[in-house]
Amino acid sequence: MMTTKKEGYPKYAPGTKASGKDIANKNITHSWWEPEVQYSWSLGPAYSRFLQELKKGKIIGRTCKKCERVIVPPRMFCEYCYKPTDDWIYLKDTGKIETFSISYLDPNARRIKDPILIGVISIDGASPMHGFMHYFGEMSKDEIHIGMKVKAVWKPEKERTGSITDIKYFKPWKGGEK
Amino acid sequence: MNRVAVIGGGMTLFRRRLLETGKELSFLATKMAMEDSGIEKKDIDMVVMGSAPDAFDGIHMKGENLLDGAAAANKPYVRVFNGGGTSVFAPIAGWWHVASGVADTALVVCEEKMGSCFPHPQTAFQHIWDPVIDRPLHPNLVWLFAMEMNRYMTVHDIKKEDIALVAVKNKRNAAGHPCAQLPDEKITVDDVLNSEIMAWPVQRLDISPPSDGASALILCSEEKARQYTDDPIFIDGVGWNIDSTMWTNRDLYFPRYVANAAKMAYKMAGIQDPRKEIDFAEPYDPFDYKELHHLEGLLLCDKGQAPILTREGVTQRDGDLPVCPSGGLLGVGNPIAATMGQKVCELYWQLSGKAGKRQIPTDPQIGVGQAWGDIMQMGTVIVMRRG
Amino acid sequence: MTFFEKQTDPTTPMHWLGNMQADYLYPSGIAGDKLFKHIMKNDTFLAAKCPKCNKTYFPPRLYCEDCYSEIPNKEWFEIPATGKIKLYTIATIDTYGNKLENPKVIGMINIDKTDGLFLGVIKTDNLDENLQGKQVEAVFKSKNERDGTLKDILYFKKK
Repeated sequence: MMTTKKEGYPKYAPGTKASGKDIANKNITHSWWEPEVQYSWSLGPAYSRFLQELKKGKIIGRTCKKCERVIVPPRMFCEYCYKPTDDWIYLKDTGKIETFSISYLDPNARRIKDPILIGVISIDGASPMHGFMHYFGEMSKDEIHIGMKVKAVWKPEKERTGSITDIKYFKPWKGGEK
Repeated sequence: MNRVAVIGGGMTLFRRRLLETGKELSFLATKMAMEDSGIEKKDIDMVVMGSAPDAFDGIHMKGENLLDGAAAANKPYVRVFNGGGTSVFAPIAGWWHVASGVADTALVVCEEKMGSCFPHPQTAFQHIWDPVIDRPLHPNLVWLFAMEMNRYMTVHDIKKEDIALVAVKNKRNAAGHPCAQLPDEKITVDDVLNSEIMAWPVQRLDISPPSDGASALILCSEEKARQYTDDPIFIDGVGWNIDSTMWTNRDLYFPRYVANAAKMAYKMAGIQDPRKEIDFAEPYDPFDYKELHHLEGLLLCDKGQAPILTREGVTQRDGDLPVCPSGGLLGVGNPIAATMGQKVCELYWQLSGKAGKRQIPTDPQIGVGQAWGDIMQMGTVIVMRRG
Repeated sequence: MTFFEKQTDPTTPMHWLGNMQADYLYPSGIAGDKLFKHIMKNDTFLAAKCPKCNKTYFPPRLYCEDCYSEIPNKEWFEIPATGKIKLYTIATIDTYGNKLENPKVIGMINIDKTDGLFLGVIKTDNLDENLQGKQVEAVFKSKNERDGTLKDILYFKKK
């Protein structure tokens, strides 16, 4: 059935544009609100142990026997077979870059000249593609590539607080060296 | 199960910041859908509101705040939300209402005011990350997309030039859309490739803008639809699927959650060979590479083949498989949930021959719309067919 | 049965502290903008009447929430900033649970010539007085201090 050419929809576009200048010049009335909300998030047993081990300079994961997975970051239940996970297992602090970005935006979305290198590292000892996000350092934006072997650079023991930032960044690693 | 038809659609202007409140935007979009269909508030049995995080509008429990603008005062009402997936999920929730028989006519409204979040909606996005594992690294949402884009490009060896073609196509397509925020008839691949690098490989013109806007859709049973029109447009397939939030434990190069949702929708619609049977598609395109990523997720081509289709012109409005004839999010704007205007209202307008300058010339019979949301998790798919 | 592990050592980390931070700018909207711009220059209010069901709104709206008709400009009209207290309460603690130095009277006021109620702070010297049903009028900031928000209305007081 051939359709005849009808009028285009939407026939009009209702709405009134308001620009940043309208706000600054007070052409439109508006009100402000700066809410302050504080949180104390429960860590749960999995993250609690993960952070404790990071403070000691170690990375720990959990095993799921049914799925034959070694999971990191660790969790107390496996989201695929939906059973509680089984055991703790220490992992290495080396891994492989699975993806990365070279960012010219800092965390507050401000432009920076020297880019931040960020990406996802799959941790040696865990199942393939299992790892977490972190920064990269001691490498240039031309060197970084998917598949690159990396090793964690830790903060000195006194400065570690039990946080993902106890690892400063991951650096290139040729393998074998400490 | 009742067959569900669409009999009206509406949307507002999409801009970085609009003067209207969320309620007023909902009213303007709903009013247009009501004018289109001849339906009034008293004819509507139930209302579904789709709206993404409260943190954008800055009104906690904003579903409750918006409802009187969405003709829902004193009516059965529900708000659904799954990030960007809401734009197709809200009509799916509307479909549940009519398909189950509890409602004869349902109104679906989607609204977003990202302009209220100051200085930039990025601030609200900071809170989607895991507070223990991700947030202490102060990540920026653009980094997440950049990492997915990089993985996709590397696994399939795709060049940025082919991805940039999507931004060019959609921004040019948007020139026929009265609500469009960033239409550009003259944009070229070089413009995209020379734009500012945000987080490599993402550049400024690869990204859709944050926007304020609203859209609405009126659904009803087949019996009622045939009283309004000789040519009803039906929602014949719906699908939705979500993957785990542990995004660092997944290979991001293929959206399996979109494929699962697509299989569900195609099965319901009786589609056995989507590549042959689907006439056009509106996949979610908040970034240009996402259109390609989602085309593969929708099983409309092999993995890694979507850039080739784009390069060969297959996905242009006059090609064999037009993709984002509306101009998509890249061209029209991205008020998260309200992108229902481009993803579902557009299917309705194209199938009923009402898309004006954007009309696909080949008389389409079946279209698929798709949305995506959260941390690379949600896939929602809708298949619509001429009755 | 849930997880196999229990946390029995009180020195293990149990919580992660953080905040949610964002600032918000709310445009008043089409209807709100007209109202607040009027209040910046006048000591009166504006109301809007639905042309279909006659429900009169303060604050005025773009549409009627009951019959969903659009309320056009010609249905807007000026009203005095007066009304009648329908309900009120005396607040002795603030939003954060701290005791207020001076208790605050908050009232729901039916603005004259409109339907519905409007929330306002009521200034009174006598907290023991029964304010139910009393006529009040709005007291505004001085014109040069008004900035087009609800705070341009300082409080209501007995007429």
